[in-house]
Amino acid sequence: MPVRVVENSAPSQVSGANPGHTSPPACTLLSVGQAFSGTQNVSSLQKDEAWRVNVRIQGCDLDHGYLCGTMEALNVPMADTPVAPIYSCYLVFILDAWAWVVTFWEGEIVDAKNHTFFTGKWEATSEVDIRHWTKFPSFSPLLSQVEVDGGRSLDLSSYPHIFMRWKEQYFVNVGTDCGLTIAGFYYVCFSCSDGSINGFYYDPNSSPFQKLELKSNHEGRSGFSFSSYELQ
Amino acid sequence: MPASSASSAHRPEDLISRLSSAAAEDGGKLKALRELKNQIIGNRTKKLSYIKLGAVPSVVSILSSTAAEDDASSASLLVQSAAAVGSFACGLDAGVKAVLDAGAFPHLLSLISHPNNKVVDAGARSLKMIYQSKLAPKYDFLEEKNMEFLISLLNNENENVTGLGASIISHSCETNVEQKELSDAGVLKRLISLLGGSLCERDASLESLATVFKGNPEVVSMFLGPESGRALSAVTELTKDRYPRTRLLACMCLITIRNASPCYLQDVEQKTKLMLILLELLDDPGQVGDEAAFALSSLIAEKEDLQQLAFEENVVNKLCNHLQKGPLQAKRIQGILLALADLCSKLESCRSRLLSLQVLNLVTDALTHDSADVRAAACSCMKSVSRSVKVIIQNLSAGSFMNEVIVIPLVQLLHDTSSSVQIWFYLDSNVCIPPCCSKRDIGYSMQHALHCFIDPFLQVAALGAISNIVVEFSKHKSVFIQCGGVKQLVQLSKSMESAIRLNAVWALRNLMFLSDNRCKEGIFLELTASTLTSLICDPEPSVQEQALALVRNLVDGCVDSIEYVFLEDGLILHAIGRQVQSALKAEVLVQGMYVLSNVASGNEIHKEAVMHQLFPQDGSTTEPIMIKHLQNKNSQLRTAAAWALVNLTFPSNPGASSRVAKLWNAGVTSQLKNMVNDPCLDVKLRVKTALGQFMTFGDGST
Repeated sequence: MPVRVVENSAPSQVSGANPGHTSPPACTLLSVGQAFSGTQNVSSLQKDEAWRVNVRIQGCDLDHGYLCGTMEALNVPMADTPVAPIYSCYLVFILDAWAWVVTFWEGEIVDAKNHTFFTGKWEATSEVDIRHWTKFPSFSPLLSQVEVDGGRSLDLSSYPHIFMRWKEQYFVNVGTDCGLTIAGFYYVCFSCSDGSINGFYYDPNSSPFQKLELKSNHEGRSGFSFSSYELQ
Repeated sequence: MPASSASSAHRPEDLISRLSSAAAEDGGKLKALRELKNQIIGNRTKKLSYIKLGAVPSVVSILSSTAAEDDASSASLLVQSAAAVGSFACGLDAGVKAVLDAGAFPHLLSLISHPNNKVVDAGARSLKMIYQSKLAPKYDFLEEKNMEFLISLLNNENENVTGLGASIISHSCETNVEQKELSDAGVLKRLISLLGGSLCERDASLESLATVFKGNPEVVSMFLGPESGRALSAVTELTKDRYPRTRLLACMCLITIRNASPCYLQDVEQKTKLMLILLELLDDPGQVGDEAAFALSSLIAEKEDLQQLAFEENVVNKLCNHLQKGPLQAKRIQGILLALADLCSKLESCRSRLLSLQVLNLVTDALTHDSADVRAAACSCMKSVSRSVKVIIQNLSAGSFMNEVIVIPLVQLLHDTSSSVQIWFYLDSNVCIPPCCSKRDIGYSMQHALHCFIDPFLQVAALGAISNIVVEFSKHKSVFIQCGGVKQLVQLSKSMESAIRLNAVWALRNLMFLSDNRCKEGIFLELTASTLTSLICDPEPSVQEQALALVRNLVDGCVDSIEYVFLEDGLILHAIGRQVQSALKAEVLVQGMYVLSNVASGNEIHKEAVMHQLFPQDGSTTEPIMIKHLQNKNSQLRTAAAWALVNLTFPSNPGASSRVAKLWNAGVTSQLKNMVNDPCLDVKLRVKTALGQFMTFGDGST
């Protein structure tokens, strides 16, 4: 039987060969309609740089460990010369035509049922996974078990952080022939307490560990507001 | 001239006059009956024409006047008149109605006990035809004599008589009580034994068994009881029968067993086989092929494991291939669309496959099909395909070609006035309740039932698809608004049918999700504060819930949009406050609390207005509703209540300090302190945030 864990301690293991399903907490800050704003650091050896990023959650299906939304990169700099290697998810040198780029992304929630900490695709080996996950301080209590089985036997239902992978699927406001690339994906850690999001972009062909930092966006309000829809 | 005399002898009017003529001898009548029968067999137009000319009462009159006699010539007359009556009733509801109106039913029943076997046979065949129609009178199994008669039919050696018994069961057995009664009377045993009989008996037995099993696990367990193996194997064996109809009926029987008792037929191999048989039967060009799609739909509906299995067996491709083959009969298209709707109801893989096969345009075409059943099935299919954020954003978002092509016919269906789907009246003029409405909605009034001819079933189906598509994630929702969709939805939100009201408000709620100010204003102007208030106070809790969720979206986004609930002296806000204070359903309270929480995320005036709704200064000493909601067993309600408190005490607001003091006096702080270890993480975290904010103003006691 899964055992609940006390906050800030390592989650218990699920006993037995066939672990029961445990969903991550249904966190209102990670529900549809929620907006987040922040930056993605795309610094290189040549210069320090960060782009403004807005994210909006559009869909959430906890039973299937699924999340999706849009990511908007604002004020994408107009590069005067082609820069190599490629930074982040965007080929900088052709971006002078757009001031902002919107992508649709889909997320896998690490819930030990639908998805584990091991990516198993997108050119990410388990070593790459561990290297990225360990960048998040809240991951450290989970490390030893994840090394054993990818975290399949962990009960994450009461854990105050939600780990995810976000993969951009396509461009929303530009065509496929725009010359941009979204080949990589983000390792994401979401804090259920304050809705802050930290992420690291991974693409073997991009500069490593580009950091995404987002905070819950109050959109000019003195508090939190929640919208909702329900598909039939 | 001989030529003209011969031609006049064949005129329908002459034929009818020969039937009715008192002077005509038995021989003449017999000849006329044969002639009539031969003319109408398989000819719908002729049947309708003779019905119009009044032929049926003449035939029934021969039947009634001859029933008591038992000589040879009378027997022939009875056989021919019964056959003619059966022929009128075969596959034509108007024929069944004419036969029943002419009083044929009791005379046909009396033929079952006639000494002449041929007469018995003809009577049984004719009654079977009548029992294939929904218009046939309901047989009361709970009447002891009726049950005895039914058993005698099933035990008869004549296969048409046993078939009649089975048809009566298939037609009239509807409730669990009736199913149990039949089972207790030994009917199951007899039906099982008929599985080994003639083709006709096997088919009739399979159909009746499915009727007796439908939705009744108790009866299914009796069937699968001590001799379970044999009976179940007999049915399973018949899925391999050489006759397609028998295979189909055996499949349907197994599906009914599986649907009533999910613990049976768990074997993946067996389920796959069943699916493959149905797919093969889909190739049958006739009725079997039509019904196979419906059976497939019933097999996979609401069962994700079976939908996954179907996906792996390429069922989506096969169904789409059939659809693309066209042109198909309406029934076939309807069945395939319903099966596709079930397949795409849960799995993204099925939706992507359907979209990649480019059949969405065929589904869209079906939205404007002549048959209302097909239109409704197309709506269901569209609803399932669009039950996905990914599909909406990728394929159906505003500005995309598909959005326009789909939205316009869907909106047109909202005022579809087709009357071809259902007949709302029984012959005895009792009001028949449409599937989407409760008896209370119908109010039993004839006038109201007539109103239902504006097809509520189709409207609900269209609203389901619209609800999904209008989410569309763009701020403008332009196509839907431009084609008059909002006007239609608002009109339907005032419908007397609760199912329509619910679905219309649901669609408006989804339309309001993340809308920009212009779009919100357009919807609100059409809806008005008073209609919205009525919907919040609707008698149906499900409508209240959707209406509150709509307001929740209305006041989300730009902070100015909060002002909507303050219009007309706060009409909407007061209605919300009343619901939060008095609603019984947790779902309604959750939405109500989120509206108040969203309003409390605004400015000082907004926050104070929410305080007033939650803690009215009416001198009452009862426990504040906020405390009750924080103690509610529903974690979503506790979360919503905690969020409202977080917003009411949000730091850097001038009035926060006085609100904290009020909340402390009301006992909220101590309640929050009791919740720091709430079993729900979300609640626990919000309580922690709220308490943190309370503490910035001291402990509230000063």
